[in-house]
Amino acid sequence: VIDLANLLVLPVALPVATALLLLILARPSRVRRLVGAGSALVVLGAAVATAWFVLDRGGIALRLGAWPVPFSIVLSADALSATFLAFVTFTALVCVVYGFAETSVEDEHPLRLPLVMLLTAGVNHALLTADLFNLFVAFEVMLVSSYALITLEADDREIPRALPYLTVNVIGSTVFLAACGLTYGWLGTLNLAEIAVRLDGGDPRAAWLAALLLAVVGIKTAMFPLFYWLPRSYPVLPPALAGLFGGLLTKVGVYVLLRLFVTVLPEDLGPVDDVLLPAALTTMVVGGLGALSRSSVQSILSWHIVSQIGFMVTAVALRSPLAIGAAVAITLHNVLVKSSLLLTGGSIRGLAGTDELARTGHLYRAAPWLAAAFLLQALSLAGLPPLSGFWGKLLLFRAGTESGSWTVLALAGVASFLTLASMLKIWLAVFWREPEDVSVPVPGRSLRLQTAAIGLLVAAALAVGLGAEAFLRAARAAAGAAADRPGYIRIVRDAEGGRATEADAARGDGR
Amino acid sequence: MTSPVETAVVVGVLFAAGLYLLLDRNYLRSLIGFITLANAANVLILAMSGDPTERSAPVLDGKPLPPADPLPQALILTAIVIGFGVTAYLAYLYYRLHVDTGGADLSQSTGGDEDVPGAEEVR
Repeated sequence: VIDLANLLVLPVALPVATALLLLILARPSRVRRLVGAGSALVVLGAAVATAWFVLDRGGIALRLGAWPVPFSIVLSADALSATFLAFVTFTALVCVVYGFAETSVEDEHPLRLPLVMLLTAGVNHALLTADLFNLFVAFEVMLVSSYALITLEADDREIPRALPYLTVNVIGSTVFLAACGLTYGWLGTLNLAEIAVRLDGGDPRAAWLAALLLAVVGIKTAMFPLFYWLPRSYPVLPPALAGLFGGLLTKVGVYVLLRLFVTVLPEDLGPVDDVLLPAALTTMVVGGLGALSRSSVQSILSWHIVSQIGFMVTAVALRSPLAIGAAVAITLHNVLVKSSLLLTGGSIRGLAGTDELARTGHLYRAAPWLAAAFLLQALSLAGLPPLSGFWGKLLLFRAGTESGSWTVLALAGVASFLTLASMLKIWLAVFWREPEDVSVPVPGRSLRLQTAAIGLLVAAALAVGLGAEAFLRAARAAAGAAADRPGYIRIVRDAEGGRATEADAARGDGR
Repeated sequence: MTSPVETAVVVGVLFAAGLYLLLDRNYLRSLIGFITLANAANVLILAMSGDPTERSAPVLDGKPLPPADPLPQALILTAIVIGFGVTAYLAYLYYRLHVDTGGADLSQSTGGDEDVPGAEEVR
């Protein structure tokens, strides 16, 4: 009998194996593309199967190498990991397919697809691991691939713009490594469940650890005041990769924030708690203002990533079960919507030759389906009912009302308004207006394929918005799993895999 | 025998120097900064295995001494490999920037914000 927990290896191992295979098939070809997309599809299947099982019957975990639990490396999937994994792998698949529509086989850079595979391996590993050092390694796999991808196809002018991304993230990684070292030195373990057990009961060092980890997560998610690298470097990326980065990387940061600050670390973190909410609120508003001040599509959208991160972290900082649910719902909705918007921005650039707002127009006439997709996703991002963004914001506002924090409500309202205003700015300039000096571009076959790929994300986002009951149930289950520390410890400690050892037998007797 | 205070000072100085250099405009300084920073973290982790005096290597050699904790060394090994990879990447990136711009630091390349209206014309 094959144990279902073994499925957890697949989202990590398969992309790595595929990347190696793609490196052997060095030259871009249709077969190579088929291998890449096929692998992403299988991973999506595994992720959906895992999510289905976990939401129904509770978390599963796998100990690698069948070592007894606190010593073995554990992969675990509770409702939080599993729902994130399902959304993230879906978006990854769509971005890979969009990449095929965007560039022809002849123009494809031979290293892009293998690096994308390694990037997704890192993302999936970060979502599944129950070990702090493995989380660091997953982040590194993800980041090193992203460093390579951001400079792979950049020209001389663009590379200097990617430098802040590299420098800031390199510092973040080093701080994370130091945090891993200190955790092991202080607590004698790197297993997340064991860390949770040993920090329980008011260990004063928890606050120090939290401060270091907050700096790491703050850099990864682009939180104020550590966000500057993001809106500067993301517009450099080719569209398919911008969608991938925007949809996946910062959202994994939010997952780690939920996992570490809600599940693992104790509730009362003193000064760290006091910092989190103001930082999040500032991120939300500064991101919105930044977006309003820009004048090209990808740049506006990149600033929006920052603003949306503010919403997610605000929800985490409020800490009530309802607010954690809001954080999960907003993040999952963003994985779909943000990446589809960035892909749309890429199609605009491909169609009009530029994404400067001053030099585009007429696109509603040239590409009505693209325009419709953009409008739906933009309104969803702003939070109009009944689109997917509305439900997360509804939960956030309810959580804000519940805790009586009127500042949160007011600032979230302001940030939502800024989002809507800058989205309308794009819509009016790019799609709606018909300036004399801009000619109507002629769409090609490639655009239809791109629009179809974007359509997949739009359909998923619409399903989330219209099927809100099921979505919110999943979000609530994920939030419940995030806040359920004893449950998480139990899942990790009961990790399956390999033959039962004597220690297992002893443990079984003690029950 | 090393005291925890000495280690703390060494790690602190390495971190500070590494950060300072990494944020420099000059590519070479920046690269050396990263190498210093990565090694600061490695030294910190190494210090976490505790004082090795009066402890044996973690192998079964029949000596009665308690073994030193081997796990931090395994962690460092991974960290060194990752640090080496990033160093190689940064070295090549800075080399390419040097070739592209003909300069040795960031002041030669355009640092301007592209999508501020009018930036296109100025360049």
